[in-house]
Amino acid sequence: MSDGLDRDLFRRIQDKVAVVGIGHLPFAKDIGRPISDTAVEAIQLALNDAGLEGEDVDGMSMLEMEATHEVSIARRLGVRQLTWWDKISYGGGASSATLMHAAAAVASGLATVVTCHRARNRGSRASRPWSQERVLVRDDKALHTPWGLIRPVDVIGMWAHRHMHEYGTTREHLGNVAIAARRHAQRNPFAMMRGRPLDMDTYLAGRVIGYPLTFYDCCLETDGALACVVTSVERARDLRQKPVLIHSVAQASGPNPVHLANYNNSPGMETTSRWCAELLWKRSLLGPRDMGCAQIYDAFTPLVVMGLEDYGFCKRGEGGPFTEGGRIEIGGTLPVLTSGGGLSEAYVHGFNLLLEGVRQIRGTSVNQVPECAATLVTGASGVATSAVVLRGQ
Amino acid sequence: MAEFVEDTQPLHPDYPLPDVDDPVMRPFWDGARDGRLMQQRDRLTGAVVWPPKPLYCKGGDRFEWFEASGKGRIYTWVVAHEPFLPAMRHLLPHIMVVVDLAEGARIVGHMVGCTPEAMRFDMPVRVVFKRLTERVTLPVWRPER
Repeated sequence: MSDGLDRDLFRRIQDKVAVVGIGHLPFAKDIGRPISDTAVEAIQLALNDAGLEGEDVDGMSMLEMEATHEVSIARRLGVRQLTWWDKISYGGGASSATLMHAAAAVASGLATVVTCHRARNRGSRASRPWSQERVLVRDDKALHTPWGLIRPVDVIGMWAHRHMHEYGTTREHLGNVAIAARRHAQRNPFAMMRGRPLDMDTYLAGRVIGYPLTFYDCCLETDGALACVVTSVERARDLRQKPVLIHSVAQASGPNPVHLANYNNSPGMETTSRWCAELLWKRSLLGPRDMGCAQIYDAFTPLVVMGLEDYGFCKRGEGGPFTEGGRIEIGGTLPVLTSGGGLSEAYVHGFNLLLEGVRQIRGTSVNQVPECAATLVTGASGVATSAVVLRGQ
Repeated sequence: MAEFVEDTQPLHPDYPLPDVDDPVMRPFWDGARDGRLMQQRDRLTGAVVWPPKPLYCKGGDRFEWFEASGKGRIYTWVVAHEPFLPAMRHLLPHIMVVVDLAEGARIVGHMVGCTPEAMRFDMPVRVVFKRLTERVTLPVWRPER
């Protein structure tokens, strides 16, 4: 192929590997247990869901920025021996990437049953980002943190502000995202914001955190642990759940990337999602129009507006108007964040978006989109990212 | 003549100071200490390379550091409010900027001598140098007069 992409090679993965189990602990402001412990239980729940045992597992892919160990998690689960594992960093960029790595391992025969997980404790104030800055700032962080650009809200606010200036994106557009997520959370028994509805007046009155972004533009801070189990479609036939196929999946850093304050990808300051989307759709036999709904990574509301553009649901600059008229709510043409997302269900680096994508294909979401044949789950724009298209059989 | 400014408060012990001895970034920090905004370019094409690259990478012998004009325009900005890192809380409301340098690079900084109300997109700004310690000086930005 002239674009250098070997589609035949990707066909060895496409629809050949499935998510067969999901599990998570109830989300909490303070879960009271270390992630080395909650990870194990989340994986156990996912194995139970799949109808598999710890001893069936031979691979592990985790989204990790702390210091837990695959071997310790595997030992507690009763895994006989791990023969394949990896850790993927980049926080919110990495949830779909765990599926990509697992799928590659299964399709190539390097592993047969792979668990993917994210456990994270971020609810407490002790985990504020600047609490890690007692030593000299090195590497990419030295390009932004010495000036105070360290809070993710400010890093993303830079993009959001320019987007508002260039395309006329409004506070109300961002509010539509926050309100859609909050509305969807009301039916989700696990959502942190269940029972706390949000209207536009309240949204607009939110206090400024980092102008132009305010309180309700920001995701929650949550402790959580989530996992899924991945295996071949052949193996999936004998298991408990309807398999959810990994149809297309991609990781991308964008050109000339900088970690976090990643403003050097392009003259137009597009985010990494633009490049991830390009690769994802090239590998896919489906397109944006085939998605019944989308879980677009939402650490901050403008990421959803820009994500709708990056992933091709609308043209560049039209993400704001796309949120109007209930289009992104249940009943609209493209419901987003159907579990409440990071804004209203839980913020666990987007791993909850992955589980909601699986539920939509199974047909078991609390906000089920009728006949949802395929769905998109994305990682964070801004950092090196990933995305996946899931479909039914 | 380069303009130097001081912070209004003594340096907080938790200030996120950069490693000015980083082998790749050292010319940038050395320059800032002397009141010069340093950038890296390809000496054959003139293209600015930002973030800078190590000279041992492929084609690295073509890279050279040079003193930029210190002029730029505001590409975008944010204004931080609480909760903010304790080391910079006294700067709130703190205006952080992404500046398009006249030479072509896009870099992160913060404003001095400017209120949030006075900020405009594409506003011309010029570099000034904020001394944090004996070794660390930050290039920061002020509206062009």
